[in-house]
Amino acid sequence: MVAVDIIFAPIFLSALVYFLTRGAQHITKYIALAWFVVLFIISLNWLNQIMHPESFAFAPDILQYIKSTGFLPLGEYLRVPAFGFSLTLQIDALSVAMLLLTSALLILVVFTSWEEKDQAAYFSLLILFSGPIFGVFMTTNVLWFFMFWELTLVPMLFLIGYWGTDDIEIKKVFNIEIKLPSKIYAAIKFFLYTHVFAMFMFIGFFLLFKQTGYWDFTLIKEASLATPALIWWLMFFGFAAKLPVFPFHTWLPDAHVQAPSSISVLLAGVLLKMGAYGLIRFTVELMPETTQHFAMWMVIFGLATTFFAGFLAIYEKHIKKMVAYSSISHMGLVVVAIATMSYDGLSAALYEMIGHALVISPLFLIAGWLHHKTHTWYMDEMGGIMKYAPYASTIFIIAGMAALGLPGTMGFIGELTIIISAVKSFGWWIAIIALAGMISAGYIIWAVRRAIHGEPSAIVQKASFHMSFPEKFGLAVFTFLIVYFGVNPQPIFDIANKAFSFFGGM
Amino acid sequence: MSFIILIAAGLIVPIFYRNNIFIAKMIALIAFIVAAYFIYQGESLNSVFPYFVLDKATMLIEFALLATLAAVSLSLTGFERPLIAQMLFLAGVSLGLLETNNFFLFIVLFEVVAIISYILVANIRNFFNAEGAIKAFIAGAVASGIILLGFALFSFTTDSFNYAHMNINGKFPLIAVAIMLAGIFYKLTVVPMHGWAADAYSQVNHAAAAILSGVIKSVVLVATFKAFYKFMIAYPVATVLIFSFFAVITMTLANFMALFQKRVSKILAYSSIAHSGYALIPFAAAASVYSYAGILYYAIAYIFMQTSVFLILNDFRREAGVKYLQDLKGLGKRAPLHSLFFTIQIFSLAGIPLLAGFLAKAVAFYAGVDAGLWPIVLIAALNSALAVAYYAWIIKHLYFDEAKCNSTIKMSAGSLIGQLILLAGTIYFGIVAADVINSTVTF
Repeated sequence: MVAVDIIFAPIFLSALVYFLTRGAQHITKYIALAWFVVLFIISLNWLNQIMHPESFAFAPDILQYIKSTGFLPLGEYLRVPAFGFSLTLQIDALSVAMLLLTSALLILVVFTSWEEKDQAAYFSLLILFSGPIFGVFMTTNVLWFFMFWELTLVPMLFLIGYWGTDDIEIKKVFNIEIKLPSKIYAAIKFFLYTHVFAMFMFIGFFLLFKQTGYWDFTLIKEASLATPALIWWLMFFGFAAKLPVFPFHTWLPDAHVQAPSSISVLLAGVLLKMGAYGLIRFTVELMPETTQHFAMWMVIFGLATTFFAGFLAIYEKHIKKMVAYSSISHMGLVVVAIATMSYDGLSAALYEMIGHALVISPLFLIAGWLHHKTHTWYMDEMGGIMKYAPYASTIFIIAGMAALGLPGTMGFIGELTIIISAVKSFGWWIAIIALAGMISAGYIIWAVRRAIHGEPSAIVQKASFHMSFPEKFGLAVFTFLIVYFGVNPQPIFDIANKAFSFFGGM
Repeated sequence: MSFIILIAAGLIVPIFYRNNIFIAKMIALIAFIVAAYFIYQGESLNSVFPYFVLDKATMLIEFALLATLAAVSLSLTGFERPLIAQMLFLAGVSLGLLETNNFFLFIVLFEVVAIISYILVANIRNFFNAEGAIKAFIAGAVASGIILLGFALFSFTTDSFNYAHMNINGKFPLIAVAIMLAGIFYKLTVVPMHGWAADAYSQVNHAAAAILSGVIKSVVLVATFKAFYKFMIAYPVATVLIFSFFAVITMTLANFMALFQKRVSKILAYSSIAHSGYALIPFAAAASVYSYAGILYYAIAYIFMQTSVFLILNDFRREAGVKYLQDLKGLGKRAPLHSLFFTIQIFSLAGIPLLAGFLAKAVAFYAGVDAGLWPIVLIAALNSALAVAYYAWIIKHLYFDEAKCNSTIKMSAGSLIGQLILLAGTIYFGIVAADVINSTVTF
């Protein structure tokens, strides 16, 4: 019962939380924090149960089920037998890894948005967001997966559109000039873009059910599909827009830049991971033969994404856009890793997914914080921030070094394992992705040179760089995790080992 | 029994209009509840006349209908009070239209519903109301003429009007059905016949528009599907061609028209036309076992969300003078409860999950995929995603823009209860799909 409650309770109670705490705005964040900590503890408990299924010795049928399928059953609700439809909740090591990442990021996001305006509404929306995002990773029913997938867009629409930056943009529509706050443009673009591409996925899911008779992806057999290629491409478009992969990425720079920094963390850390998770689940695990057939396409998309976004990041002067493009570039590497279809590659993909979430988050947070303090986005107008804000600058440099793959950080292990597994699967030519590391070195070091070091500019000299304690604490935790898992990656690879054991793990 | 109770209550209610509107509302509410009870017991028109059948699926939409009409009656105020009696009459006649299994009665009751709708829109207060009412009336009269022409042709060729025993072979029945559909498409606001609806829905009193675009359209959808089911099965190629074509042009055109509107009511009117397009997909997919489930689900979801949206717009118009999109600015702060209900129902119209609008679309579209029409369904799905653009634009004005003044708007108790009923329907049918599908799909 716990499982279904932690999905639906936040969805229905968040409005109540809002109306109850509207008068005392400072309380809401403690409620949110407490709820996310509860989510984290529940996820840890599930991780423990999956890593040690022997604890189910008292229930032999559950133990047998976990051993044969790898999934921990959490119940089946809302059955509709005539439609073969029900809310099946079961999780394996991959879902638990995503749940842990999600709840950890949500906790840290509460700290980093400690001083946000209109707190009752903001944190109620965060609580609302926690429901469907858990649902996405917990259900194995494709239609419910889609429903939760779409529902995550609603709180994001409000979080970006209301709490975003104050930039104004002038758009020309039919020769009429429209003055529009950029945040609203970004929020609606994000919503529409991902919604439209999700529709391809929606039809793909319908065809899956039509051709196999099951909504549950653990029961679907690839051999019984009549048109696997069509379904594969329909689903791939949905995930590609979320990831985002090169031609479908244009929503991301807008949304990430205009969103408040903490929400950029959620976008980069959780929403992009939904795309990668879907890609692993619905292409690699569900349709291995078709994926093998189209693997080269995935590699091409992945490489194109990595290099295109990398070059754009070098060119970019806007600090948060630079971070956003670097985020896209790293997701391209994840796509290449997934396309290898091997145990090594998928483990590397999972490691890089978690690493990317932890590395890119402090970069977004500091970029947003710098804008908040200096009121400029452009690195040319900054400079010498190290002198005035040494704490934030140090963390920016550490996270930046992790993004470019410095040994001892998560970025290094992620990139190294991806290159090794890709070379193993595709041959030597794929080693060109090592160039991606060089490109990221280019933009990160140049950004550090322009913004953090150098002579203090007039804008920086005037600004006051105060950072509240919870924000400092949040950043410190991110930094600690980057270095900790960089030095000791084994815990994540243990989970990956469990998650991808069907590909011949240890 | 339920029919008699509703009509009797409709005759009593006007006595209390002048003195005590509260008693009138209570009588209406009790009549709706008692009628629902008798339907639950299986004693509707079917216990009196042989031409009516009450099955589980019909029961379900009748409950949705009665709940919605009760919600509308509760939220009426001021000069809208004559509508209460019409709610009761409409409920009674709609029960007949939904339950009948006789083509002759279908045509007769269809006309009665049409006449009630003319009386609904005849509550004229200004020039715009008059224009909307005249347009609805003339379009309805034309539609009636066309339907009767087709029906006359059909009646020459068949021995029986019973849905199961109708004679459908030969050229004449096919031509007759085509002519009748042309008339019914007026009522369903399918695209070449939609012109009147865009004006009528947006210009008549919004409470009447809620009934016209929400309730009557849903009832007509289900009744038409039942009446023409035998033809659609017998002529699969013609069915797929006609309904897919009209579905695609209806939703595409209406969505693009809605994008360019500035009046809120007109956006909702075009969105209602677009929804007719989505609802035609189960018609095209009549061969699928899920087609009836799809149409029933669509009607039930639509009856709740569309009615609710127009009722809130009615409150907005009365309390804040909302006409154009820019009048909505900042209402999210000034009227938080109204805006919350409005937002949820708009998201339901847009097809956001966990709301009835999504599951209705999912089942209706799945019927299409099941019948092998996946390219049509893909167009429909992309259309419904595109529609989010204008729905999100309404939300943007509600929440993201600054208010012009700061006076808060309170929700009246009747309106609140009515909206809660409609919201309960939207959320219940958005999560629990079992009721509709179990009552329609049998293996």
